[in-house]
Amino acid sequence: MNRYDQLIVDLRGDYRPQREWGVGRGVLMVVGHFLVGVAGGTWVMASIYGVTAGLAVAYVLAALGALAHLAYLGRPERALGMMRRFRTSWIARGFIGLTLFLIGGGIYLAALLLAPDDVAGPVTRTGQVIAAVGTVVIIGYMGFCYTASKAIPFWHSPLHPALYIAFAFRGGVAALLVISAVTGVASGAGLLEMWIGVTTVVALFFALEIQGAWSGGNVAARWSVRDILAGRLALLFYGGTLALGLIVPLALLLVPGAHSPAAMALVGLTSAAGDFFMKLATVRAGVYLPLVMPARRQRA
Amino acid sequence: MRLGMVIDLKRCMACYGCQMSCKAEHGTPPGVFFARVLKREEGHYPTPRMLFLPVLCNHCSDAPCVSACPTGASHYAEHGIVDIDKDMCVGCRACMMACPYNNRYFLDERRYYFGEAGPTPYEEACSDRHPEGVVMKCNFCRHRLAEGKDPACVENCAAKARTFGDLDDPESIVSRLIKERGGFTLHPEAGTGPNVYYLGP
Repeated sequence: MNRYDQLIVDLRGDYRPQREWGVGRGVLMVVGHFLVGVAGGTWVMASIYGVTAGLAVAYVLAALGALAHLAYLGRPERALGMMRRFRTSWIARGFIGLTLFLIGGGIYLAALLLAPDDVAGPVTRTGQVIAAVGTVVIIGYMGFCYTASKAIPFWHSPLHPALYIAFAFRGGVAALLVISAVTGVASGAGLLEMWIGVTTVVALFFALEIQGAWSGGNVAARWSVRDILAGRLALLFYGGTLALGLIVPLALLLVPGAHSPAAMALVGLTSAAGDFFMKLATVRAGVYLPLVMPARRQRA
Repeated sequence: MRLGMVIDLKRCMACYGCQMSCKAEHGTPPGVFFARVLKREEGHYPTPRMLFLPVLCNHCSDAPCVSACPTGASHYAEHGIVDIDKDMCVGCRACMMACPYNNRYFLDERRYYFGEAGPTPYEEACSDRHPEGVVMKCNFCRHRLAEGKDPACVENCAAKARTFGDLDDPESIVSRLIKERGGFTLHPEAGTGPNVYYLGP
């Protein structure tokens, strides 16, 4: 069904799914959020473990995420104007944060590569601080973009920002698992424990969000939950998020003595893929608040 | 002055005059409805009833679309009208996710009513007003207001179900209608301060 026919069908229905983010070209926005989130988490984890390759990977992921965001926009040539409304708009804040990250991270990485003996120098430190500010913003802003969407009750939840922050860290650990498998730098055992911890937090937040949406009394939010668990998005959720993102990595971890670099890399990749499908499913699950007919209002 | 509209659902007969006059006034492309009429059948034989709800942008006093817009393209124009500066919009569609009334549209590509036959002269004349890649919505026909006229949907409502005026003036017809007939807004729980009121059927 083409976009126009789909819109007409949607307008006639009681529950109109949003089809701007996460559908068609809108997938680019989810890809952008996913890459930028993983970039933020990877930067933090790589800084904790002191993995320079991780910092470089985080930078590349953020740059790719920025490109995906730009490709999604209807008028990307006007993107610089997105900094104007930082006082009220989370998208504007995210744009500024991503810009800071790319500038600061670029300075920091360049200084690390060009003058590795001068890591405490003013240029390096300045870049590091700017990148740190950018990292905090890019990890935090995405969930708030969704929470600010008053039209979509499923997203309009205080847990959404926490879930996205947890996702960023899970993505960061996953990326570091892959990097450590390739380079053999970081401690695989410590990372695996961290992956299990962060995954538990993500699962807890998601379960709370689903429970809140289901029991919160809003029909559109319940519709979204139904779409994820037993509707049009069930395949994405069960196949992509649960099977690929949780069961496969856990199965790999439970195989005794099989924590080879290749297995760890596979854990990281499947975990990241699961996160992507989770984000795609929750974004696509957005259903607009229905307009209640007056007669029903009076009876309510 | 705070401009607003009152829609009397007792008078509305769902003739779609508002929807068509809006389309004619703005020359909006297929799939874009600044004003539209929702219909729903309720109840069962022998007492079913058809419910109508004409909807349009509510020009909220605390518009979430304005807060969500990163560029300032969505803004408050004169007298509380919420409008979009099409030259500033980047097409991020955050406003569409923020609007609890689903009254914004994104034009991803040029579409014409007669498909491969191409645009009619009227569509050609109007296409400049609606560039691709940006979001569009009702603006209470600001160009008509500047000429001292009412919005097209108000002017063309055959049943005179729509009344337009200053909500800040307690003596205006809109304020009196809201007060005397108990006007209500859609989704008051969203806290957006809509300036389109309805009078019960």
